[in-house]
Amino acid sequence: MLTYEPGTTVGHRLDARAKLGFQIAFAVAAFAHTTMSGMAVLSVLALAVLATARVSPLRALWSIRVPLVLLAFAPLLAAATLGPPWLDIGDGLVTALASYRVVLILLVSTAYVVTTAPRESRAAIQWAVPGRPGVVLGIGVSLIFRFLPVLQSDLRRIRDAIAARGGENASLRRRAELIGILGVSRTFRRANRLALAMQARCFSWNPTLPPLSATRLDVPVVALSSMLLLSPLL
Amino acid sequence: MNDTGQQVDLVDGEIVVGIAGAALMAALTGVLAYLALPYPWSPEPITLQILGIFLVGVFLGAKWGGLSMVLYLVAGGVGAPVFAHGQAGIGHLFGSSAGYLFSFPIAVVVIGLLAYGHTGMGDPSSLSHSRLIGSLVAGAAIIYALGIVGLMVVLELSLVEALIGGAVVFFPGEAAKIAAAVAIAQSGHVVDWPPQGIGQ
Repeated sequence: MLTYEPGTTVGHRLDARAKLGFQIAFAVAAFAHTTMSGMAVLSVLALAVLATARVSPLRALWSIRVPLVLLAFAPLLAAATLGPPWLDIGDGLVTALASYRVVLILLVSTAYVVTTAPRESRAAIQWAVPGRPGVVLGIGVSLIFRFLPVLQSDLRRIRDAIAARGGENASLRRRAELIGILGVSRTFRRANRLALAMQARCFSWNPTLPPLSATRLDVPVVALSSMLLLSPLL
Repeated sequence: MNDTGQQVDLVDGEIVVGIAGAALMAALTGVLAYLALPYPWSPEPITLQILGIFLVGVFLGAKWGGLSMVLYLVAGGVGAPVFAHGQAGIGHLFGSSAGYLFSFPIAVVVIGLLAYGHTGMGDPSSLSHSRLIGSLVAGAAIIYALGIVGLMVVLELSLVEALIGGAVVFFPGEAAKIAAAVAIAQSGHVVDWPPQGIGQ
């Protein structure tokens, strides 16, 4: 599981908006050119993106190992047929290419995750979604980043308490029930305190955000994104 | 501190409470999605991600629950490890699990509407057993239907292949999660929420 790591790589110095736009453009191009040659070009591009973020391809692959299981299994599923000829290679190849494009898209997004601080992402979200909806999205996303580790430790304590009372031997339904009751209660208590604290600190619709600044470094990224976005028309 | 010379435009108390609840319940869903419980009928440990979705629908209702799930998708998209097994990144919104992910906000809104008949929050312990189960089953049906469609589109699989790849991998324990969600909602042991009482 990869998360944001502070650094000074080219990937870190790029503007969050340019990186988000590039990922969407890359996905559009990957869906439009699901051919051998298209995948070859996009593979080189994906490796270049990982290089700018100094993330080794193996490490990136390891971080997406869970979805990879299904992506590797899908072509076999598509190729298998009930009855002769038992294996339809053509069908399998189509799904293999489709699976591979998803792998590339996921690899590119790991580069974004590693190089972009949550507060930059928040500023990019609020730039993309103006007005109050953007503020709600921005603050909500920041709170999720902030409270994820807190709720994780809450849940770890809940699971330890259940285990200490022999709950590990209970049925899945009973364990899920105990985790849910205690987890939701704790979460609501935290949300209560958080809402009170936000009001005490004058939570407003117009908070001051970190300034986003596009630099010369972003120009090639934007140009490349535009090319990828237009590539389905070629 | 920067002085931008702007007037402060305060957010209403009710909205602050709604945002805090929506964001923290989204984070709880992320934690539950990271949790892997061994299950005898499944080849791999199952996560409680779907249980989190059910709880968001039941406890936050259509409006705030829907917001909670939108926040969940956006936060996961920009790198919070909240998707199943701690995955993150915008790529997942285009990947094999895209259908499941985009179904979450829709499923939560449907669960909230079916359970309470309006977009606000209600008291889950006052719901009848059958109504609660019905709304959760409808939510689960939406999640699986869109999840399977997502697999068909993204991986170019036929319906039968997507059913095998999607439902068989994710479905084990679903009935147990619905039963657990019903028990949690009707236990009466969950802290009151929202703090100013129901009636928004």
